[in-house]
Amino acid sequence: MLEVDNLAKRYGDVLALEDLTVRVEGGKCLVLLGRNGAGKTTALRCMAGVLPPTAGTVKVDGIDAADDPAAVRARVGLMPEVPGLYERMSARDYLDYFGAIYDIEPGLRKRRISELLELFELADAGDRWLGTFSKGMRQKVALIRATLHRPRLVLADEPTSALDPDSARRAWDYLNYLKSDGCALVICTHSMEEAEHLAGDIGIMSAGRALAVGNMAALRRRSGLKKRKQVRELPTLQDIYLAIVGNHYALAETRTA
Amino acid sequence: MRWPKLERRKAALVAARDLRDAISELRLIAAMVALTLAIPIASGSGVRALATFGGGTSVVNRLALVGAFFVVFIPASFSLVLALESFVGERERTTLEVLLSTPLREAEIYAGKVAAVLSVSLALCYGGLIVYCLLTFPGLGYFPLGILLALALSTFCQVAAMVAGAVIISLNARTMRAANVMASFIILPMSVVLQVEAALILLGRAEFLWGFALLMTIVAIVLVRMGFNGFSREALLAREVGLKNPFGRALDAVRASFAMRPTFFRLVWMRRIPMLIAAAGFPVGAWIGYLAGSTNVIPAVVLRPVLSSLVRSTGDGGGVEQALTIFGHNLLAFVLVALLAIVTVGVSGFLLTFAPGFILGFAAALSSWSIALTGIVPNGFVEIPAAIIAGGLAIQVGAAAIHMDARGGWSARVLAALADYVRALRWLVPALAVAAVLEVFLG
Repeated sequence: MLEVDNLAKRYGDVLALEDLTVRVEGGKCLVLLGRNGAGKTTALRCMAGVLPPTAGTVKVDGIDAADDPAAVRARVGLMPEVPGLYERMSARDYLDYFGAIYDIEPGLRKRRISELLELFELADAGDRWLGTFSKGMRQKVALIRATLHRPRLVLADEPTSALDPDSARRAWDYLNYLKSDGCALVICTHSMEEAEHLAGDIGIMSAGRALAVGNMAALRRRSGLKKRKQVRELPTLQDIYLAIVGNHYALAETRTA
Repeated sequence: MRWPKLERRKAALVAARDLRDAISELRLIAAMVALTLAIPIASGSGVRALATFGGGTSVVNRLALVGAFFVVFIPASFSLVLALESFVGERERTTLEVLLSTPLREAEIYAGKVAAVLSVSLALCYGGLIVYCLLTFPGLGYFPLGILLALALSTFCQVAAMVAGAVIISLNARTMRAANVMASFIILPMSVVLQVEAALILLGRAEFLWGFALLMTIVAIVLVRMGFNGFSREALLAREVGLKNPFGRALDAVRASFAMRPTFFRLVWMRRIPMLIAAAGFPVGAWIGYLAGSTNVIPAVVLRPVLSSLVRSTGDGGGVEQALTIFGHNLLAFVLVALLAIVTVGVSGFLLTFAPGFILGFAAALSSWSIALTGIVPNGFVEIPAAIIAGGLAIQVGAAAIHMDARGGWSARVLAALADYVRALRWLVPALAVAAVLEVFLG
């Protein structure tokens, strides 16, 4: 699905990405971890056929991004770090506009838009201007936009950074659903929890280079860390939060009834 | 000249969205429509009042034309604001990045956005002009259709030029604040253009206005093409790194422009085409100067004081002082030509040979070729080749200034062309000194 070989990208005299080689098959997910400026966003832009590589090759579905970048972009759904929404457009119109750009037939795109707005609990807000949306709502719309055309490869830069834990989980479920449908995913994130939740393989990047790429077991071996003596069995904060919020909603529903 | 491929339906999608966005700001659109209606109504009423209350026919007719210019000028100026908002505003809000990640070609995004801005601006310009004409000309016994059509064409080209200029700004400005500052590079030349147009309208000669409209068409085509070539994903997204230490980077860029440049003689060979153009400037100038003098298009009384002041400016002192003055004048001309080459897109380089040729031809028309030629012998044998080389290199600077490339590198190309000019001065300055000595002591 995605084949990246010795990818390098130079901006003037700045080498932003160097010698990146990764493979992501359909139904698999690669998570890229790294500090800000590690080259993750540049890697995503090159993989999406948005920026031409300085060296190396990017192939999506066997199509070389250097030969036919438009065909690559048509097969890819890119969700940048900043949602980049038009403030004076309703969510429905906005998604319809991008659906038309991706040549989705009008009836089909209307149906998909309704389904996805419903899935992300935005159906009621669908006719409101995007300028009135919260940060989390915007991120959801950006995720819908990036996947509306059912791309073969989804590239997402911190897809859940502005989402509350419940919405984040919903987004992960959606991404996992796409994965199970044969879509390949490449996700950049700073959230270790997100990485563990989604990743098949993990790439750790620093200063434009991939330090390590592999699954958890391979990375564990690579890191040389021993098995923890004490296994933490206490729930994480996220587990506690979700339990309390869940109980609160359940209690409220009982009282209303 | 090949234009990029684009699918019209995709460009229309972008245009429709941008158009919708532009007119969704009700307060803005209300202000624009009010201005577009208020100005023609006020101007038209003024002209009619003057006609009714006894203004002379020629004054009323002239004023009717100036009013038409006034009516289209203000809505045309909106196009710059709209274009900056459409290109730089989208870049600042990162919505452009999203658009660039879709299968749309750059040309489709560019064409769609330009079409949207042109639609709004021209609808306001032509709407205002129609209102003005309906109000002003019926019953006046005067309807200068040729001039109004030329005005409409040059307005179209001015709007297109401003929009294309805004695109070029968007490649170099990430924020609206920076873009507004850089907009001066469009506003200043545009104000000169408008003053020239106003002067031509006051002359009231349709053929002059058509000539001006033709010139504006060429400028607009060059700028729109520059925008097409420069509007690229690479240029818009790849330059967001490396912003630290701007002065150091600028110095490095200047230093780099001087590195690996060709030797003087190789440079002359490499730039033979612009140098041939510059060389043609001298005989063309001489021929046009001769025609101007012999047909009295420019009366001798106008040009004679200019020629006299040129002669006087060499000074009354001794030979050395005269030689120094001539050398100083010529050197100043060479430096100014290079500095003006970017904004005049190399026309200054052509003028470096055209202007002396024109003066020579004009002097020949007033006297004879043999007398006129004695004025440039023997110094001309050194001075004219030096001017051809400098003119050619200045034309090359202008060519670099209008060449946009999807991979960027505009600054590097212009700096390299300027570096070639500066390096050539090592040969040209001594040549000018020799020419000045020859002119004073052997001329």
